[in-house]
Amino acid sequence: MSAKPTVVVTGIGMVTSIGAGRHAFWNALLAGTCGFAPVKSFDTSAYSVHLGAEIQNFKAEDYVRTLDVNSIGRSSQLAIAAARLALADASLDLTEVDLEHAGVCGGTTSGEPQFIERFDDHYVHDELRKVGQEFITGYPCHVVPCHVAMELGFSGETMMIPTACAAGNYAIAHASDLLRAKKASVMLAGGADSFSRITYTGFARLGAIAPEVCQPFDRNRKGMVPGEGAAMLLLELKDHAIARGARIYCEVAGYGLSCDAHHMTAAHPQGEGAARAIRMALDQSGIAPEEVDYISAHGTGTPTNDRLETIAVKNTFKKQAYKIPISSIKSMLGHTMGAASAIEAAVCALAITEGHIPPTVNWKEQDPECDLDYVPNVARKHNVRIAMNNAYAFGGNNSSLIFRARAV
Amino acid sequence: MQKRVAITGMGVISSLGDSPATLHSSLCNGKTSIYQFDESHLNGSGGKGSGRIAAFRAESYLKGKNLRPLDRTGQLVVAGAGLALEDSGWTPEHLTEYPVGLVLGTMFGSLHTIAKFDRHALEQGPGCASPMDFANTVINAAAGQTAIWHNLRGINSTISSGSASGLAALGYATDLIRFAGQTAVLAGGADEFCFESFCGFEHAGMLHSSGSLELPVPFHASRTGFALGEAVGLLMLEEWETAMARGAHILAEIRGHGSAYDSSRQDRGMAVRSIVRAMADALDDAGMSPREVTCISASANGSIREDQDEAVAIQSLFNGSSQSIPITAIKSMIGETLGASGSLQAIDLVETMRSGLLPGIPGLGQKDPLLPELNFCCEQQEINQCHGLVNSIGLDGNVYSLVISRGPEKT
Repeated sequence: MSAKPTVVVTGIGMVTSIGAGRHAFWNALLAGTCGFAPVKSFDTSAYSVHLGAEIQNFKAEDYVRTLDVNSIGRSSQLAIAAARLALADASLDLTEVDLEHAGVCGGTTSGEPQFIERFDDHYVHDELRKVGQEFITGYPCHVVPCHVAMELGFSGETMMIPTACAAGNYAIAHASDLLRAKKASVMLAGGADSFSRITYTGFARLGAIAPEVCQPFDRNRKGMVPGEGAAMLLLELKDHAIARGARIYCEVAGYGLSCDAHHMTAAHPQGEGAARAIRMALDQSGIAPEEVDYISAHGTGTPTNDRLETIAVKNTFKKQAYKIPISSIKSMLGHTMGAASAIEAAVCALAITEGHIPPTVNWKEQDPECDLDYVPNVARKHNVRIAMNNAYAFGGNNSSLIFRARAV
Repeated sequence: MQKRVAITGMGVISSLGDSPATLHSSLCNGKTSIYQFDESHLNGSGGKGSGRIAAFRAESYLKGKNLRPLDRTGQLVVAGAGLALEDSGWTPEHLTEYPVGLVLGTMFGSLHTIAKFDRHALEQGPGCASPMDFANTVINAAAGQTAIWHNLRGINSTISSGSASGLAALGYATDLIRFAGQTAVLAGGADEFCFESFCGFEHAGMLHSSGSLELPVPFHASRTGFALGEAVGLLMLEEWETAMARGAHILAEIRGHGSAYDSSRQDRGMAVRSIVRAMADALDDAGMSPREVTCISASANGSIREDQDEAVAIQSLFNGSSQSIPITAIKSMIGETLGASGSLQAIDLVETMRSGLLPGIPGLGQKDPLLPELNFCCEQQEINQCHGLVNSIGLDGNVYSLVISRGPEKT
C-alpha cells in the first residue's frame, strides 16, 4: 500500500440522548436503549408528528470551563462537552500539546439554529431592535468549532464543514488529511447539532418523520426521528500516539466522497453516487470489499433512504453484501444530523476494539427490498477488523469512511 | 514529488462586474460599488454602505432549465460556476465523462431562505412550510444545487470559516488535488447580501458608520468598520500535468496555503501572531521565503482592530522587505463579501499578475499613524508580477493565507 503516514483514533467523546461519554453510551447502545420522547423544546401541537430524540438534562456547566456557558449556543456546548470527553478518554495532557498545531474540524447541519429562530421570533413580533450583538457572534455555524478551540486553547486550523447529515465523515476525512500533511499534530474532528425547530418543521412538512418509532430497514418503516447530539474523535499520527503512550482504538484507513448531482433531497435511484464513495474509500484504504467486517449504515428509517442505501451496498459488494452485518444506530438515537456520522464513526472505533456490534432495533418484519443482515434487535459479538461508516446528505453529498484495526 | 495545482479558469459575479477582467479594471480605476444598493429589500433597516448586486438577473446566466428550485444564493453560485467552467474550457460533454468536484466556502449559506422558511411556518403554521425552501435551508444547499445544474459529480464540500471561508475552500481544494488524487475541483466562495445578516452586523456595531469618512477605507486613521457586500467567486483548480495534457490554459498556480486560529480572542499579541503564522505557513508550504513575495492582497476592510493586526503582522513577517512590498485592499471598493472575499481577492490577484497592474486603495490619503510604515498603494501601480500573497482574516479569529504564482507565458 502507500507510504502515507497512518492516522489513528486515540480518544472518543459523545453526548447523546442515551448517554454521554464512551462507557455510558456504549452500554446503552448495546442494550438497545432508545432516546425517543415527545418533543419538549418547542410546541408541536400544530404539527402532525411529535416525536423527537432530544438530550434530556444536559448540563453544559459540567463541561464548559473556560468560556461563559451563557454566551454560546447549545451546539457549541454539546461540541465542547464531546471534545472534553474525547480528551479525557485519550488521556491527552494539554500542557504537552503543541497548541499551534492542534486544530478542530467540525460538522453540522444547522449550526446554532436557536439564534436565527430567536431573530425570527423578534421579527414576527416587530421587535427587531431586540436583536443583540450575540446574533452575529453566536449564530454563524463556524463558531461551533471556534468555541471548542477557544475553550481548549487550540490555535491550529479550525474549520466547519457543514455538509449536513454527512458532515462528521467529511470532518474526520479532512482532519486526517491535515495530519498526514503534517499541518497538525492533533486534531479534534466530529460533529454537533442541537434540536432545531426549523429542521423539525422541514422534515415534518416532507412527511419524513415517523409518528411512533424509528425502524430502519423494517418493512413498515415510516420515517426518521430528528434528534440532537455531538461526538468528537481525537486523531493523531500513529508515531505521535505511540510516543506519548496513547491507547489506540484503530486507524483511519481512508475515505471516499462523491456527489449524486441528481436531486437535493432524494438520493440517486440506483445509489450510483453512494457506490462511488464506497469504492473510492476502499481504493484509498487499499482494502478489498470482502475484507469489510461491519458497516455502520446511514439508515435513517425513511422508506426511500433505506431502500436506496441497500441498493448501493449491493452494487458495490455484490454477493458479499449478504455476509456483512450492517446496522443503523439511528434506530436508537434518531437522526442527530451533523453529529450522526461522527457518533457512528465512534461506534466503528468501539466495534473494532470491543469486538461487538450494535443492533438495528425496532426491527420486526423484513422488507423484501431490504434483505441484508441488519443485526436485528440484539447486539452481537463479532470480530471487526475493518469497519465502514456511510453517511448521505441533502445536496447529494455522499461519504464513506473506513476504519481498520491497528496493525500490530 | 508534490502535485502542482493550476488555476485554469475563473468566474465571478460581483457588484463591480461579472468577469475577472471587468472586476480588475474597475478596481484599478478606483471604482467603488459600495453605495449601489436597492433599499426595498432591506425592510427599512437602513442600508447604508451596502454592496448588493442590484442588477443581478439569474435568467441572463442560466438558460434552459427551471430556476424555481434555486434561491438567490443558489442562483449566484450556479451562475458563477457556469462562468468558471466556460472560462476553463470544461464543456457539458467533458463533465459527463469526468466527475469534477466543487468546494464552496460560505459564511451563512442561504440565511435569508432559512429565516424566510422559519417565519413563514411561524406565521402560517408548520403545515404551510415550503418544502422547496427547506431544501435550501441546509448550508451546503448552493453547492448541491450547483452540482445538479452543472453535473459536478466529484467531491462536493462546503466550508465555513466565517469571512475567511473562500480562502479556506481554496486551501481545502488544493489539498484534495495534492493528497486525495483529485484532478479537477471548482473552488471558491459565495455569500448573499440579506437584511438578516446586515441587521446582525449592524447591531453588533461592526459596520462602517459615516463620520469623517464617507466610505470605509482600510488602514485609514478614521476607519470605523466595514461595508457589507455580496458576490460569488469560483476558480477551477486542476492537477498540473492533467491540465497540461488536456491543453488547458494555465492562468496561475496555487503554491501554498496556511491557516491559524486566534483562540484567545482578546490577546492582541496572539491575534497578530496567528496572522504571522498563517502567512509564514503558506510561504513555507510554497517553499518560498518572504523576500520572494511581490505583492500582497490584504484582507483589511475598514475594521479598526483587524486592519491594524494585519498591518503589524505583515511588518513582523516581512521584516526588512515589508516597506517595499506593495499592498492593496480591494474591500475598499467591493466591500466585505464574506465567504466570497478570499476568492475575489485570489481572482483579482491572478488578473493583477496577468496585467502587471495592482489596484490602489481609494481614499487612503491618511494612513493610520498607529500602523507601521508599509507600502500601502493609494492608487493603481505597476508591479513585478511574480508571486502574490492573499490574506483572509475572519471576524472570529480564523486566518487563512494563500500564495499564488504567475502562470507560464502563453505560447
